[in-house]
Amino acid sequence: MAVLFGLGVAPALGAPPKAIDIGANQTVWFEEDHTVPMVAVSISLPAGSAYDPSAKPGLAALAAYLFNEGAGNLNSTTYQDELARRAIQLNLSPDRDYFTLSFVTLSANLKDAFRLVGLALQRPRFDADAIVRVRAQMLQSLQQEGEDPEAMASRRFYELFFAGHPYGHEVGGTAAGLGAITATDLKAFAKWHWVRGGVKIAVSGDTDTATLTSLLKSAFGPLAANTPPAPPRVTRTSAPSLTTVAMAVPQSTALFGVPGILRNDPDYLAGYVANYIVGGGDFSSRLTNEVREKRGLTYGISMSFGDYRGGGYIIGQVATKRESIGESLAVIRDVLRTFAQDGPTADELSDAKTYLTGSYPLAFSSNSGIAAQLNSFQREGLPIEYVARRNGLINGLTLDDVRRAARRLFNPTRLVVVVAGAPPAINKSVKPGKTAKPH
Amino acid sequence: MEAGGTICSTGSSFFQGIPTLIDRETAKRCIFAACLALVGSVAHAAPQKVSQFALPNGMQVVVIPDHRAPVVTQMVWFRVGAMDDPQGLSGLAHFFEHMMFRGTKSVPGDQFARTLARNGGEDNAFTTQDYTAFYEQIARDRLRLAMDLEADRMAELDLSEPNVTTERDVVLEERRMRIDNSPQALAGEQVDAALFLSHPYGRPVIGWPGEVRRIGRAEAQDFYNHHYAPNNAILVIAGDVTVDQVRADANATFGRVAARPLVPRVECAQPVRLGETRLAVADPNAKVAYFSRDYRVKSYSEAAPGQAEALDVLAGLLGGDSNSALYRRLVVEKRLATEVGASFDGDSRDDGKFTIYAIPAPGVSLEAVERASDDVIAKFVNSPPAAAELARVKTQLVASAIYQRDSQYALASAYGQALAIGLTVADVQSWPQRINAVTAQDVRKNAASSLVGRESVTLFLKPGPK
Repeated sequence: MAVLFGLGVAPALGAPPKAIDIGANQTVWFEEDHTVPMVAVSISLPAGSAYDPSAKPGLAALAAYLFNEGAGNLNSTTYQDELARRAIQLNLSPDRDYFTLSFVTLSANLKDAFRLVGLALQRPRFDADAIVRVRAQMLQSLQQEGEDPEAMASRRFYELFFAGHPYGHEVGGTAAGLGAITATDLKAFAKWHWVRGGVKIAVSGDTDTATLTSLLKSAFGPLAANTPPAPPRVTRTSAPSLTTVAMAVPQSTALFGVPGILRNDPDYLAGYVANYIVGGGDFSSRLTNEVREKRGLTYGISMSFGDYRGGGYIIGQVATKRESIGESLAVIRDVLRTFAQDGPTADELSDAKTYLTGSYPLAFSSNSGIAAQLNSFQREGLPIEYVARRNGLINGLTLDDVRRAARRLFNPTRLVVVVAGAPPAINKSVKPGKTAKPH
Repeated sequence: MEAGGTICSTGSSFFQGIPTLIDRETAKRCIFAACLALVGSVAHAAPQKVSQFALPNGMQVVVIPDHRAPVVTQMVWFRVGAMDDPQGLSGLAHFFEHMMFRGTKSVPGDQFARTLARNGGEDNAFTTQDYTAFYEQIARDRLRLAMDLEADRMAELDLSEPNVTTERDVVLEERRMRIDNSPQALAGEQVDAALFLSHPYGRPVIGWPGEVRRIGRAEAQDFYNHHYAPNNAILVIAGDVTVDQVRADANATFGRVAARPLVPRVECAQPVRLGETRLAVADPNAKVAYFSRDYRVKSYSEAAPGQAEALDVLAGLLGGDSNSALYRRLVVEKRLATEVGASFDGDSRDDGKFTIYAIPAPGVSLEAVERASDDVIAKFVNSPPAAAELARVKTQLVASAIYQRDSQYALASAYGQALAIGLTVADVQSWPQRINAVTAQDVRKNAASSLVGRESVTLFLKPGPK
């Protein structure tokens, strides 16, 4: 059979998104498409967990999860009914820098969707019964995380990796932190963080610029214009370490990471491509090949290359039966060592470029996908022209660029490793729950 | 099928999206409050221009044009799943799905995935009780490549022994991750085993560990020979294509694979259950208690007209959103639970499953949660739902079919799944109208006839020593 090993140029995207001015230096990115009678909207507010007070981790997340629990003269039940009977699907995703709220709606209900979202932003209620209920749900989630080695490893890993920085605590907070939060805290948080300054908005679908501009202005116009400062820069990087969290589960999960770089670092894209080659690619990375395909040690291993506003991260994850965790970690260190030393081959770089540029249009094949992708570029502080320039920048990277980034970033002697489970060969055990004090 | 019954080939979805370590938090939260997605609603589409034809070798083809972006989604569905696993070899169908990525004579080793990736393509696969599906998403000018690759592995897979052994270890790790590490998933396996009696739906898709370990090269080869044939497959292409182009390319690729004699699918008895089953599980790894009730009910393939549709509506009324009856009563009004849900899994060849579940609030007993749930269910059994509630749920279900048109993958899945379990393109297209036609009395009648105790398994999962 003929397999085409094509290296052709990826197809162009459709029309580039438009920037809509809604006043006060705010621009909204908008991709217009009338094929499906729906609109997808993604809004990121500078209201992530990095802004939690040190004694109240979980404040940003609790505020976010109360977003649809009543606003203005609508109590929780009425507010939810207003959304539900119009099939407006709202998703609330607090993260470390931003609180992203996204929704899809039939285009016929777009006006009501913006009215309801605007009302919740402008006049959130934080009613006592809603606080009690949602806090109880979050506490129960924390409790249930104790079953999940991935969650337990992640909690400990972030504490160590971002030691002393507000990125170090989980977005969902702690039981003590959630317990200490009051309605006054929530109202103050919303007032300073659910604001027009620094908000990032992307829209895709069946509407037009004039309609959208007017809806956006009425939803966001009344909000305070202050811009919360970006979270502090991550200055102190954690020392290399191996930590275990004891859990009686058949399969252990390990998180492993090295410090990343800021989005505006000249090596950022080279590092991103390097990460794809060593651990980011689904079935084609060096780690997948060595740990899964050759040795059958795991169902999945991958590395994620990304950035918060104050600092970057390169974090990998692997899950394997407890007696194999030592071997898996040894293989991972070997793979990283070789990669840091020699970098990728010319073929690997070429394959990475054709994958990353060729698959780029897949992110733009649905309204929901477009809104999410555009909003993520906005959160990273990229200009709207980046949407069209991105593939050219990746194609322009040289083997030297990526080798330099590999050498600079993927040094296994800097690894922070946390294993949750009960690996026999690794001591230094830390009991779950006995975690570092949040700052 | 619900996510719990569907398993994929790659575990590397951990990090899709940035930064996924945090998204996990979001996803969990999504289950109970923020997200209005109806867990119980099946993926069916609103009317969409769809063409259907067959190749001379018997392969069915469905084409769904979507010209918004220059990309395509290809799915190949085989009418074989875990229910076709031979006795004593549960997990074979799922294991075999993995083997489809281990190379052929012309595209050896990992070249399938590498070739696709090099061409900007994404790919994966999943297995359920009823079917196994493989898919690729790629730029439209690479569709022919994806078709060549799929046709090639349908024709001449290379099942060498070392591959089989390594991949079996991968599958056992997948099982540890999905099932053995999760108290709720472990208990869920036993619920299905009890619910479906001797029907193969009672065996886990991923297989019992002792049986997975028995799978060898010969079993895999035999399974391939008798199930992975064009006359047992459905090709679905959604995206920036024309029907004529797909027809020509399908004939030139899949059309060259010869039809093979199939092993007839086993028809299994589904005897009436004579009594309810109650399952009490204590698990030292569990950190929260968990209540669930699963009813064996008629699926879309078996049900009388309107019956399964009424169950989709009922699931929405009971647990679809924050104003659903179970959520209102147990979470908001009585504060007995922190999380509740209801779902109807009616996309199966044989019986479907209607599920309600709850996580009790701290200090609340499973008995109290069950009593309150039973009260809510009794309301629907005894009287028709209020008009406003019914309208809200129907609006959401019908809108879900429109939202589905936003995604090539969701559209292709809806048609592929329907055909794989014996439904038709017309069934998918008429689903919104059929949902709209459900009356309050239909809901009451079907709640009464479907949510019957003897057809149920009730699970009490508690933290504690075994």
